[in-house]
Amino acid sequence: MNLRKLGLAALCLALPLSATVAEDSYPSKPVNYIIPFGPGGESDITARHQQPYFKEMFGQDLVISYKPGGGGAVGWSQLNGMKGDGYTIMGINLPHIIIKPQQKDVGFTTEDIAGVYMFHYTPDALVVTEDSPFKTLQDVVDYAKENPGKLTLSGSGKGTANHLAQIRFDQMAGIKTTYVAFKGTGKAVTALLGDQVLAEWGYTSVGAAHEGKVRLLAVAMEERHPKFPDVPTFKELGFDLVGGAYRGIAVPKSTPEEIQVQLSEMIGKINADPDFRARMENDGMALLDIDRADYQAFIDKQAEAYIAAAREAGVIE
Amino acid sequence: MRTEAVPGAGGRDLGGMVACAVFILLAVLALWDTTSMTDSDSYVFPRTVALAMIVFCLAYMGWQLLWPKPPEAGTAPPGSTPRRVGLVLAMLGAAALMPWLGFVICGVVAFGSIMALAMYEAWTPRRLLVYALVGVAVVVGFYFLFAKLLLVPLPLGTLFE
Amino acid sequence: MPGFEYLLDALTPLNILLALGGVIAGTVIGSLPGLTATMAVAVLVPVTFSMAPASALILMGAIYTGAIYGGAYAAILLNTPGTPSAIATTFDGFPMAKRGDGDLAVTLACLASVSGGLVGAAFLLVLAPPLATVALAFGPVEYFWLAVFGLTLISALSEGNLLKGLIGACFGLLLSGVGVAEISADVRFTFGSQVLLGGIETVSALIGLYCIPVLIDLVATPDRHLKVTHAPRGFRLAEALAISWRHKWNLLRSSVIGTLVGILPGAGGSIAGLVAYSEARRVSPRREHFGQGEPEGVQATESANNATVGGGFIPTLVLGIPGTPPDAVILGALLIQGVRTGPNLFTEEGSIVYTFIYGLFLATILMLPAGLVIGRYAYKTIVTVPKAMLVPTVAFMTLIGTYSIRNSVSDVIIMITLGVVGWILNRVGFSPSPIVLGLILGRIAEQGFVQAWTIGAATENLTGMFFGRPISLGIIAFIALSLFYPLVRARWVGRRRKIDAD
Repeated sequence: MNLRKLGLAALCLALPLSATVAEDSYPSKPVNYIIPFGPGGESDITARHQQPYFKEMFGQDLVISYKPGGGGAVGWSQLNGMKGDGYTIMGINLPHIIIKPQQKDVGFTTEDIAGVYMFHYTPDALVVTEDSPFKTLQDVVDYAKENPGKLTLSGSGKGTANHLAQIRFDQMAGIKTTYVAFKGTGKAVTALLGDQVLAEWGYTSVGAAHEGKVRLLAVAMEERHPKFPDVPTFKELGFDLVGGAYRGIAVPKSTPEEIQVQLSEMIGKINADPDFRARMENDGMALLDIDRADYQAFIDKQAEAYIAAAREAGVIE
Repeated sequence: MRTEAVPGAGGRDLGGMVACAVFILLAVLALWDTTSMTDSDSYVFPRTVALAMIVFCLAYMGWQLLWPKPPEAGTAPPGSTPRRVGLVLAMLGAAALMPWLGFVICGVVAFGSIMALAMYEAWTPRRLLVYALVGVAVVVGFYFLFAKLLLVPLPLGTLFE
Repeated sequence: MPGFEYLLDALTPLNILLALGGVIAGTVIGSLPGLTATMAVAVLVPVTFSMAPASALILMGAIYTGAIYGGAYAAILLNTPGTPSAIATTFDGFPMAKRGDGDLAVTLACLASVSGGLVGAAFLLVLAPPLATVALAFGPVEYFWLAVFGLTLISALSEGNLLKGLIGACFGLLLSGVGVAEISADVRFTFGSQVLLGGIETVSALIGLYCIPVLIDLVATPDRHLKVTHAPRGFRLAEALAISWRHKWNLLRSSVIGTLVGILPGAGGSIAGLVAYSEARRVSPRREHFGQGEPEGVQATESANNATVGGGFIPTLVLGIPGTPPDAVILGALLIQGVRTGPNLFTEEGSIVYTFIYGLFLATILMLPAGLVIGRYAYKTIVTVPKAMLVPTVAFMTLIGTYSIRNSVSDVIIMITLGVVGWILNRVGFSPSPIVLGLILGRIAEQGFVQAWTIGAATENLTGMFFGRPISLGIIAFIALSLFYPLVRARWVGRRRKIDAD
């Protein structure tokens, strides 16, 4: 407690006016929300969803800017070099922040990232076209068993949630399928729709965005997704596959703890808004409420599963 | 290091050949880097391209040796070399110092120095004043356009935070 | 005309204002090197939340159209493509400017852009759903061959220097591999450097390789940048109209090419411009003049790249798959507004779509007066401003423009470095275009190749994969044509001359 007071006092002396003002009434000016990807992607869209609620609840603008490069690595490697006054926040994604540092020196480590909230995930889903001969998940497994390696599935990138889902499922079902990496979910869906591949490892959000053209065979959630009540979960069908691409928010490490906690509560408040939840779910997202206190435990748990699967895939050594 | 198209030397395109040699070195460097790649998908394409580049460069050099053709560019570049170097240094300096000194300061200094480098007419006091004002106006104007209107987070300079 | 009843909806005062404002803003933004249409549209997304979907679309579409046209200014007057779509415009645009016909070039670009935009929008209006299926038929293999086609085109255009063109293209291809590979999540060619982790960004490389060498040479001599042989005489509109009418088939053909290429998600305006240019050159009786300031060249590229606007909306609206990066942002904005894309969009939400398409027509038509006026001012400014003002301003613009692409200082440093490299290469006879195109197409080529290989290997049908698909075969035929046609023709002409001489 004393240490914290000392730290706060030091902060008051060291930083100019804005910091002291920030402590009393954060946020008192617009908050810069950096997306480490290009505009138009899923991270951008979820941020846009949050934007109006932030403004309404806290009175300040959430200004979205982009810092793409290296699949997010450029943004994350620069995060801790940014000003830690609570007015700079950045989107973070799992499994990216766990897998990337394991591969090569990407300028940041998983432990370096000071996450304050994980607010949603897009659950993995096995997607096929509307008129595909595969009607159930079992059809897919049967086909793969009879034709090892011939089942082509598209997905976004390598070492990503899609890829790891394919690896884990292949292990669980004892089959061998071929994963074809595309740049981004959009291209992966295009390949599916154009019949370039037989199925796609995508997300529930794909099912929402292309309703009527695709079918979801299973979703990787604990319970069925509210928007797709007819689609079974992998668990129901006997495969313990729960996961997807998780998104959250982090701040520079140097941000004072008070502000980090406050930010965590703020995002949590947006997340609890029923209207916000409805919109997100309508777009096929699933909400998550991991606040700052639970963040580290969550990361550790996910890391275990991810790293094992990535090693299997040869993505990391 | 600047290669210039030098006539003579048997009317060969010496500059082009030196460039080809440099490209071959780059290709070898690229090939060396591919040996550290774990996934086979990573190196298929770069290796093919690097090899193709070496082939093309050797072909060009061979061609020039057998059927020399003088280069189109001909002579040494006309005009003042120091000014050219000055321009590049001014821009590099501005870019490198931006995170520390902030955008506006680096912008103004870069603008001013490049203006001096590009100035071929005499400096009258009036001219100096007008140009300086316009320069500052341009820098500040663009700053507002980008930072305020387009919401680009321009570096403000860590020295001032 | 489908959806005619919505034409009036498009002509509300608000929509007209949005269309006009959007086009003007877009043109100005597109003309500044480093500022892209994507950026402009992304900034406006929050503004559109409070608008009706159709009006939001009209605004964003207008900006997009204006920005693609605006890229021509820098291409013609500064030899710097303002956007990648304008790369091919530099081939003839800048020579025209150097010879004193810059104002004519700018006006021609305006007329061509308007024509291209109208053709693209017309296809969008009438043929969107069937054309969208074409977008789906393009798989990884087709993209690979398309990229190869683009690269052979650019090498073939470096006449007499085919080898140098190919070497430049290879250099660009290697540069495209720097950074994190999409297809394997490996980190390549960074040699441990943080700066290169994000890869070499296309627009910053564009500015570096094209614009910086121009600045370097401008600073070195006291000569004026562009020759002005006569007082700027208005728009030279009559002259431009005459030329446009004379070459109307060029305009039409290039617009169609642009629309078709625009339909292919990810192909981009640069390929469209290149293919249209190459075709125009192949069939033109004045082909020797291409590359030295031939108006047909400017017409071909500018109409093609504006046609990609309308073409790009086809997969975006019908399939929910963005045709180009600005389309991705627009799609995101629509999603937030709750508008679901898909073939149903045309039937159930016809009001939104058709109002928008008519609005796009409107914006394109409004681009004619707006574009001419802005173009005139751009030309006058660049030509009359003293060098000591012009050079620092442009240099400064490149600094701030490149920085704002990815909010990265590294990009700026890469740009300047590539600029020096580009200047050196220029002196020894290597043109920047193959390098830039290698950079742009390298990613498409590599991804297409690896994906096709993976699928082919999995289905145990490699040769069939690469050489057995109808569209691929068509593209391969074009590749062969562009490589061998000049040789065949030269032979044939030579033989003809011999026969006549005998």
